[in-house]
Amino acid sequence: MKRIRFGVLISYLILFIFAIITVFPFVYMILGGLMSFQETTSIPPTLIPHHFEWNNYAKVFARAPFARYFFNTILTASVTTLVSLFNSLLGAFAMVNLRFKGKGLVQMILLSLLMVPGEAIIFTNYNTIAKMGLLNTYIGLVLPFLTSIFYMYYLQSYFGSISTTIYKAAMIDGASDWDYIWKILVPMSKSGLFTVGLLSFISGWNSFLWPLLVTNEDTMRLLNNGLSSFASDAGSETQLQLAAATLTVLPVLVLYFIFRKQIIKGVVRNDLKG
Amino acid sequence: MDNNKFVEVKNLRKVYDNGHEAIKNVSFSVKKGDLVCLLGPSGCGKTTILNMLAGLLNPTAGEILFDGKSMVKVAPKDRHIGYVFQNYALYPHMTVLQNVMFPLTVGKNKRSKAEAKKVAQKYMQLTQIMDLADQKPGNLSGGQQQRVAIARALVQEPKILLMDEPLSNLDARLRLKIREEIRSLVKSVGITTLFVTHDQEEALSIGDKIILFNDGIIQQDDLGQNFYLEPNNYFVANFIGNPVIDNFKVIKTDQELRSSQFTIPLALLDASRFKRNLPNGEYILSVRPENITPQKDGFLHVKVDDVELIGRERILKFTYDQVQARSLINLEESIQPGDEVTLQLKFNRIFIFTPGGERVY
Repeated sequence: MKRIRFGVLISYLILFIFAIITVFPFVYMILGGLMSFQETTSIPPTLIPHHFEWNNYAKVFARAPFARYFFNTILTASVTTLVSLFNSLLGAFAMVNLRFKGKGLVQMILLSLLMVPGEAIIFTNYNTIAKMGLLNTYIGLVLPFLTSIFYMYYLQSYFGSISTTIYKAAMIDGASDWDYIWKILVPMSKSGLFTVGLLSFISGWNSFLWPLLVTNEDTMRLLNNGLSSFASDAGSETQLQLAAATLTVLPVLVLYFIFRKQIIKGVVRNDLKG
Repeated sequence: MDNNKFVEVKNLRKVYDNGHEAIKNVSFSVKKGDLVCLLGPSGCGKTTILNMLAGLLNPTAGEILFDGKSMVKVAPKDRHIGYVFQNYALYPHMTVLQNVMFPLTVGKNKRSKAEAKKVAQKYMQLTQIMDLADQKPGNLSGGQQQRVAIARALVQEPKILLMDEPLSNLDARLRLKIREEIRSLVKSVGITTLFVTHDQEEALSIGDKIILFNDGIIQQDDLGQNFYLEPNNYFVANFIGNPVIDNFKVIKTDQELRSSQFTIPLALLDASRFKRNLPNGEYILSVRPENITPQKDGFLHVKVDDVELIGRERILKFTYDQVQARSLINLEESIQPGDEVTLQLKFNRIFIFTPGGERVY
């Protein structure tokens, strides 16, 4: 009995330490966004600001077109999420349920393309987008991300776990492939699709390198690139950077709090006993 | 239309992409309104045939006719069939009612919600699942899921119902109950049904006729009792029957059948039952355990290895020519393991096969 309690104690202690390590930078970001410049740079560091400088947030919006950055980011992240989700859904369905010539070859090519890191082709993509005259446009920002082999592959393994007799039953019941996708496959794979949607949205939200390359106008800039406006030649305004970073992270955090049940469901699947 | 050939399969062949020839050359026909069992050991190709009938698999060669019309190039949804899958294949995110209604909400059978619901309810009443209408399949027992699957298959009012081992996921008692229900249900609806099973007892009890498959070909296509009384070949004789048939190696000479311990004069056999003139040589003599029983003046003297109780009878087991054989005896007989007994054959009930399996007597 005693040994079990001791073990529980140890595991709670370890959990506590790791929780602190994980949460601390985040909490410091929020607090730092409310400090004065002196407090953020003082040594020893300040943990709790003496006076909450809410005004930092107003400054952030005054210093850079932050609202515009928000709008741009939400727009591009949403468009890439919706379109890539739709494309991955159709692609994964085809690879799982349809029979066609050369399926194995297509699968192999797709998988080998998955091995190529995004950075390796980023300049090729840049050249293409530039030649198409799409620099500083929304289309240029989203175009390379409208399909994703990774998401397709993820959904493929998800759809593959649905018994093939469900598809056959739907065929005999008179459903077309389109009916099957929308009336059976999508409702049955909600949590998988949701996971992909969320991953896609977050990676769209966090994208940095690509928007940095293809945009140089303020009106087209995304949040993460906007953060750099606070690191000017005149030196960093750390408190504004932290306030802006808080603003940047906030929507993702809200998403997580709203959908945490579905996110966990995406990992743990509930299946029908057979 | 020829109602005796409501379903007709001609020279059907299926070779899978990996080169496996699942179906070699299969032809059979099914009478309108009949319940026919496709029986065979696992891997014999019976589900492959059902899938080809449903259009879920394309045959490599051959012809499939429903009501005289070729179905080979027709899509599954246009074949007027219902299909009950082994694992039921219910849509887990829909309620029972939605599952049963589904075939009426898509494709060419689509109708108004109210109308679809009315038809669905009719078949839910028939399968006694009305009280489950708002449940999800995940909350149902195997037997209940089974009924939902049957209701969903019937709701399109198909001409032909295909069932792929629908009882194999149920426990023994429920299986007996549901199989009776299935038979009375399909008979009351009057639908032509093909029922795949590997369980001979199930096939014998439910089927108007049985088609027994092995190795991708039909071994026998017949009424149930004929599988016992007149098996086509060695495979059929050994597949059908519980306890399984006894086989003895014999040598035929001009006068008699000779085994290591007994001889049977040919004069005792019924000359009219020979299918052809037999050259002398090796044969297999087979007899069902109920036709080889202890008797005082029996010709075969054996020592009993074991006696097994199987309800109203006992199986007496003995070893002959290093092979175990069985005799079915009455419950009352007081034979114990280790006893020595003499057994007698019913000569008009024996079968003789060539070593290749052909039945010759």
